[in-house]
Amino acid sequence: MLIVVDPSSGVPVFRQVMDQVRFHIASGLLRPGDELPATRALSAELGVNPMTISKAYNLLERDGVLTRRPGKPLVVAALDAATIELEKIEQMRASLAEAVRVARQLDVPSEEALKIYGELLQGEAEEEQS
Amino acid sequence: MTILEMRDIHRSFEPGVPVLEGVDFSVDPGEVVGLLGRNGAGKTTLLHIAMGMLHQQGGSVKVFGLDPHRQPVDVKRRIGFVSENQILPGFLKVHEVIELHRSLFPSWDDHMSRELAERFHIRPKARIKTLSKGQARQVALLCALCHKPELLLLDEPAGGLDALARREFLETSIQALSDTGTTIVFSSHYLSDVERLAGRVVMLHASRVLIDNSIDELHESFSIALVPHRPQGTSGALLALPECLGVRVRSDAVHAVFRIDPDDACALITEKLGITDALCRTAGLEEMFIEIAGGER
Repeated sequence: MLIVVDPSSGVPVFRQVMDQVRFHIASGLLRPGDELPATRALSAELGVNPMTISKAYNLLERDGVLTRRPGKPLVVAALDAATIELEKIEQMRASLAEAVRVARQLDVPSEEALKIYGELLQGEAEEEQS
Repeated sequence: MTILEMRDIHRSFEPGVPVLEGVDFSVDPGEVVGLLGRNGAGKTTLLHIAMGMLHQQGGSVKVFGLDPHRQPVDVKRRIGFVSENQILPGFLKVHEVIELHRSLFPSWDDHMSRELAERFHIRPKARIKTLSKGQARQVALLCALCHKPELLLLDEPAGGLDALARREFLETSIQALSDTGTTIVFSSHYLSDVERLAGRVVMLHASRVLIDNSIDELHESFSIALVPHRPQGTSGALLALPECLGVRVRSDAVHAVFRIDPDDACALITEKLGITDALCRTAGLEEMFIEIAGGER
């Protein structure tokens, strides 16, 4: 599983881990039932405090995203297709909220912001075709 | 039980020039505390007082509930210490240094000692003086870890090491943390290392503890505000706010660090100063450190 953290980004490391696990679930890279790396292994690989990883895992468990089984690795919860679809929308919403914040700060009118979004979608689509 | 408790610590080396002036903080079992501060802020002094190597002139220190000055052996047996300026006797061989530590600590773990020596690729017969700085520091870490200390005090342990040696040092400390739940207090100028390892950050500034918060709080509930220069007296007005930790006047704007999140900081500046175009955002530790250490308060 691909998790990378940038401890100096100003975003808490536990949140970076949570966001990436959720993203991988939304994108289908992680499927229900897939095992997650052990706290100890992941903390050693990322070079971060193991408590940070358990905090991320505990919160994901609380949110119903991961399931803990005694004595075994954590797994992605048995989420149904509709929940994963909702997760995708949540991811998009968070990402666009950031764009909205920038638009507000720069005083870009809503119609203009929507137009930019439309153009970017269009551009991506054309690139895929070519 | 509290692992380390410091109450109202005072210490100076020259009359009238306090290094520590009423420092309070305590560390619970299993915590990893990063100690920050500029050169000369008193980090080493504080760690030396905790070790019982230096006596405070005022206040009290308890390590494992004991007085490190009165019961030095009982305390030191349960502590591991690595410092940038640690001097291992250069004429000794690696295995002789290890043997010396082994004889001093009844709780020495031979298995762990062999495992670390192998991981670090240290030749037991090499003389200390022939080792690189990174290897010598690894020998020091091995000696500090293998008696399974309950408290690890690291004074700028990564100082002078290259990026890979630093990462290896960090990984070994992290492993000790996972295996035995060792409590760690470490000072470091490498703020990304602090962000990786520390659960809590204590910053010494102007002889006192200025910040004592979890690293997650620092990332989410502290902010930097960029406030346009006009009107006159902005920096003074910002400094007068109790939530403001420090300001730095730059050519672009006044930079102010707040112990509240960006939205609250912007709202506060609007309410108290009538300034509506301040930019407030969260920041990494390095940026926050520079704003505070380089500013006034």
